[in-house]
Amino acid sequence: MQRIDSNITRLPNAQINDADGLTDMQLNNAIDLAKGGDLEAFRYIYNQHLNLVYGLCFRLCADKSQAEDASQEVFIQLWQKIDSFNHQSKFTTWLHSVASNVCISYIRKQKGWWQKVFSLADENKHEQQDWGEISADTLEAFVLRLPERTRLVFVLHGIEGYRHQQVAQILSISPNTSKVQFHRARAMIEEWVNE
Amino acid sequence: MSKPKKQQQELEQRIASLNRPIAPNKDLWQGIEYAIVNQQQAASRQKAQIKKASGVSRYLAIAASIVMFGFLVLFIMDHNLNQQGESLIANLSDSHQKQKQALIVSFADTPAATNNWEQQIADLDEAESAIKLALKDAPNNPALLKMLKQVYEQQLAIIERVHAPAWQQI
Repeated sequence: MQRIDSNITRLPNAQINDADGLTDMQLNNAIDLAKGGDLEAFRYIYNQHLNLVYGLCFRLCADKSQAEDASQEVFIQLWQKIDSFNHQSKFTTWLHSVASNVCISYIRKQKGWWQKVFSLADENKHEQQDWGEISADTLEAFVLRLPERTRLVFVLHGIEGYRHQQVAQILSISPNTSKVQFHRARAMIEEWVNE
Repeated sequence: MSKPKKQQQELEQRIASLNRPIAPNKDLWQGIEYAIVNQQQAASRQKAQIKKASGVSRYLAIAASIVMFGFLVLFIMDHNLNQQGESLIANLSDSHQKQKQALIVSFADTPAATNNWEQQIADLDEAESAIKLALKDAPNNPALLKMLKQVYEQQLAIIERVHAPAWQQI
């Protein structure tokens, strides 16, 4: 990425993008090149934002392998949608929104019809999934232990900072349901922390 | 600050700290690149197919235009022929009426051999009207034209025959 790297030396005082350490000019350059079909520029964006996207996907999926697949899906969709990024908001904010939506939709696709049928019965049943190196007694593990619907609300509102109205929109639920699920998650986590 | 409230605040802080990037255990780029390149190739193929299809449809449009033009030419020719046919019938009819009137006038002083020759002429007039009606739909129909010609010839033949009987000529 010589074309993008060269901008750093030309703009020593450029504003640093707080999410990934890129200068705004450098990132905008990469976005514009990617919009023009430059896959190398897109790979640069990928390298700079992979951990951010993967972190979000992992918290939402609560499974290492699914989070990897979902992250790939996010970047594939991002390649198709990058033309619609109009620099009106921060790229990381826009990317976060795209990633949340794509990941939720990925999770829905992964759920088979039989899982939907039995979801009520399994609501309180914790299934140990592949959490990678996260030990079971950490706060992060408690979040991953939450039932799916509760976890999605908790992650989006409690960790990622979406408002209940936005969470409701992303998950196609009512804002009240979002609030109820969030408080339920909070109560469960508090209980596990105090055990 | 009460202990539970302090604990809750600590929990809030810990939850907020969960919003952090996590590195996956493997590089995911290869799969992403593969999907993107595949999509691009599929899109190129689709574009090529659309282009090919639009090429075929262009030829179809040209062919359709030619066929339409052919139909138009045929329609115009047919229309002209019809006009020609109608004009021919009008001339034929007009000429026959004049000839018939001239013949009747020429035999005005000659007594007729039979009494019903005018009825026979009237019958043939009805036949003429029926043939002309049919000729309106097909002005160039040779069979109808021939029939009309025969009707006119018969009418003239009757007028001549009744006014100049064969035994008088012997």
